[in-house]
Amino acid sequence: MISYLADERRVIQWIRHLAAETPVFFPMPHGKVNFRFERVDEASELQFARYRPTIIAPNSFLTPTKEEIFKYQRVGPGRYELTPAVETTFQILAGVRPCDLKAIKLMDDVFADGERDPYYFQRRTNTSLIGYACPAPCDEMAYCESAGSLDWRDGVDVMLTPVGDRMLIQAYTERGEALTASGDFDPCDDPDAELQRHLDERPKPFGRQLHAPVDELPAILERHWDSPLWDQHVERCFSCGTCNLVCPTCYCFDVKDVSALDGSSGSRTRQWDACMLTTFATVAGGHNFRADPAARQRHRVKRKFQYLNERYDSGAFCVGCARCGRQCTTGIDIFDIVNDIVDHDRAAAGGAS
Amino acid sequence: MTMPGAFEPSPVANYLPTTAIIEEAENFTARDRYFRLSLERPLGHRPGQFVMVSVFGLGEAPISISNPPGDAPTLEMVIRNAGSLTQVLHSYGPGDAIGLRGPYGHGFDLHDFLGRDVLFICGGLGLAPLRSLIRAVIDRRGEFGRVMVISGCRTPAEEIYRPDLTAWAERGDVDIVRLVDNAANMPWKGRVGLVTEPIAGLKLDPAETVVAMCGPPVMYKFVLLELAGAGINGDRVFVDLERRMRCGVGKCGHCQINDIYCCQDGPVFRFSEIAHLKEAFL
Repeated sequence: MISYLADERRVIQWIRHLAAETPVFFPMPHGKVNFRFERVDEASELQFARYRPTIIAPNSFLTPTKEEIFKYQRVGPGRYELTPAVETTFQILAGVRPCDLKAIKLMDDVFADGERDPYYFQRRTNTSLIGYACPAPCDEMAYCESAGSLDWRDGVDVMLTPVGDRMLIQAYTERGEALTASGDFDPCDDPDAELQRHLDERPKPFGRQLHAPVDELPAILERHWDSPLWDQHVERCFSCGTCNLVCPTCYCFDVKDVSALDGSSGSRTRQWDACMLTTFATVAGGHNFRADPAARQRHRVKRKFQYLNERYDSGAFCVGCARCGRQCTTGIDIFDIVNDIVDHDRAAAGGAS
Repeated sequence: MTMPGAFEPSPVANYLPTTAIIEEAENFTARDRYFRLSLERPLGHRPGQFVMVSVFGLGEAPISISNPPGDAPTLEMVIRNAGSLTQVLHSYGPGDAIGLRGPYGHGFDLHDFLGRDVLFICGGLGLAPLRSLIRAVIDRRGEFGRVMVISGCRTPAEEIYRPDLTAWAERGDVDIVRLVDNAANMPWKGRVGLVTEPIAGLKLDPAETVVAMCGPPVMYKFVLLELAGAGINGDRVFVDLERRMRCGVGKCGHCQINDIYCCQDGPVFRFSEIAHLKEAFL
């Protein structure tokens, strides 16, 4: 690994330099409080200090909300020619926070499982990640440390770590080395000492804390399938699916054809879907296996903290970015749901002993 | 900018349907249509697997395979008119082409049934997937003990694969029980009642019997109760579950039953392996 040091001004200069040749997307203010990943151009104001998780997570650059997978063209009665979508545009996502870096790594695992998904990986292999280690919680909602994503580095090409008024720049991959070669950076002889300084400067604890370690949550959730808390936490829920759409590890999709008016050609697409929507688990004939909103909420919570981490032998699929709680119209927060279940579990265990 | 490790375009195979031609089509009931298709090569499937059927412009739907495995480049299936895609399929006949990908999922393993008494319990359209296994068993009839089929549907007009049920009954070495919930003033020579009712009368040997079942979601728990009463444990019962798969390869999330994916881990399960799943049955 090659390590450098530079002040923020030179890092931003470097990102601008990269953006002159390649599409670079960076979290930029949008309105007064919100951020979104936008393409860097000459007018972009780039800075690291002010940040809140973007409303839509950067995984949308790898699994777009609506993605063409192939085109079809009628060539005779009932006969179609199919052309798979090929996407080879190289892009750089810069300023990606550790919560989102972990989410992208989890999506790598999901889309590599079983039949490796060619549509995901043609984007993923053409995407470089420049991460940025958070020196402080982005707001009062984040619980990334507790969810186990705060120190995530896996999958990143270049990691930027603020240390004092400078940044440690580390190239983790060959691609990262190629990218950092164009920077006006100073060599760094002792990156471990710089990393330690970064850790020392960080507040402790970092952000909100779940009431149990994430690796204990699968067992705790399993004990409370029938808890009345599921009903309590869903009472305000509109089943709108916003929590799914903003989640960096929600990847469920529907397959839909978008057809020309005369039906002779069109595209088969994958479009984001949401397990909180009423009919997500409905089968032909109308049977709905999760008709109750509380059952859908429980499914979402268990996917994030139990089902998927067990299936992929990974850490929690909830990365603690808190987007779902921040964006929920009625303020339902998965952090509160999980903590209530944990508290209930602890109280029950205490009462029994 | 050229980057180390950059992607090189290659043919992208996943999700691409191939074309299959309908050779025969027939309405089994007012809402269930039978299709036999010719394929370029045999499907290479196991009983209980499914395919994704495409109509370009309308999308895809998961459909059970009805024919037994074999060397014939053929696919048989029964499609219920239950949505826009299947409604259009109901207008298709011989010579028409559809898109097809698969087979997908984890089907039945004939080894679980060899040498045993085999009981099939089919509710309504559930006979369509189970026929792939019933036919495979009957093709090797000498290698099984008793072979029994309970097939129930709502009314006489809703029964599918009628010629097959008649032919199997005429063999003399297969017990066929045909039932309807309600004869609805139609001619009906079979029994009236639910598929659970004949189970006790079959005098099953719990040590020798293996069960395969498929039907509407509401059917499972009642049949499982009745089987438990007959002394048949969950490790001898194979259930074929229905979910609305969108991708068939464990990605889209729609067929998830608690922590398992129906499309990959199923749709056929040994009951004892999913008995703990709260969302498996209604």
